[in-house]
Amino acid sequence: MANEFTPTWEEVAHRYGRKIYNFAYRLTGNPDDAADLVQEVLLRVRKGLSSYRPGSFEGWLWRITRNAFLDGVRKKQRRPESALPEGDHHALGSSPSPDDVLTSVRLSDDVQAALLKLPYDFREAVVLCDVVGLTYDEIAEATDVPVGTVRSRIHRGRKLLRGMLTWPV
Amino acid sequence: MAGLISDPNARGELFSAYLDGELTPDELTLVGELLDGDEESVAQFRALRSVRRAVRLVPELEVPAALLPDGHLGDLLSAYLDGELAVFEHRRVTDHLVHCQDCRDDLHELDRARIAVRSLPGADATMTTEIPAIPQPRRRRRFVVSGIAAAAAALVLVVMTTGGGDDPVFTLDDLATRHVARASAEPGFAILPAGLEVSSP
Repeated sequence: MANEFTPTWEEVAHRYGRKIYNFAYRLTGNPDDAADLVQEVLLRVRKGLSSYRPGSFEGWLWRITRNAFLDGVRKKQRRPESALPEGDHHALGSSPSPDDVLTSVRLSDDVQAALLKLPYDFREAVVLCDVVGLTYDEIAEATDVPVGTVRSRIHRGRKLLRGMLTWPV
Repeated sequence: MAGLISDPNARGELFSAYLDGELTPDELTLVGELLDGDEESVAQFRALRSVRRAVRLVPELEVPAALLPDGHLGDLLSAYLDGELAVFEHRRVTDHLVHCQDCRDDLHELDRARIAVRSLPGADATMTTEIPAIPQPRRRRRFVVSGIAAAAAALVLVVMTTGGGDDPVFTLDDLATRHVARASAEPGFAILPAGLEVSSP
């Protein structure tokens, strides 16, 4: 079968680079680690594209991303630091309304700090769902667990977040 | 079904999956029933919704342009000329130079400036490497300049600077030759793509 549905490395970089960066940043709170992950993932994608067969590209890509992230964590032999990011001064103003923008600016540091306190499996599931925007099926494929487990992790992650965040409902 | 409804975690999973559009039709019906008049369920649903919304409203960060293929190379160019790039960075630079005239021109300009500085009297590599008393900063990747390589670089410099008044159009092969001569035998080090020209300034 021709690889007509296989994106080029450059296309992958442009289409997913930002998502990969945000995935790593929200998991670690560290821009350097996020940049390292983007480079590592793109390198692995470049190597792997020749053997990739058209199918669930998202699942393939995010499995690579997750494995690269975990490999990086293992190499450093440390868990992601709980330090707050320096701020969201690089953030893009993509929120739909002024109220939402104000809300997000006020809350983003709190949310980031709370995310970093979640157990890794829950944090990963929440970030892949709410930051990256994957479906439960895609998360299941990327993390190699059943969909039911994904559903449970997302809920438990959100429940823990709710306990850490203090704004009124 | 009653057990499922009375279990807060199972109920919360349903609400969470509902917010994500991940329910089966039967589950969707069940959620509708739960939210119809059950205050505890409504409060739980609202709490989960607010958390989900907060996470999704966290602004998306822009990936640094230098990490992407079409982002111009910037600081990487000088490090490239000095043989100071990690392997994956080197590959990215060479890939980018293939299709980016702007960065090839920048590389050309940087190389001219670099050569000019290095050709200043008293700044030859042999002298500086023979002064052990000067502490050298710890570098991530350090390449050894052999005497032969330094001589080769000097020869290239002479050729470049004695070529007449017209700015020459030279190829990236020239840069690559000098680059690799300086960079020695770093594992994974690759030569620039051949046949690419930089434009005359």
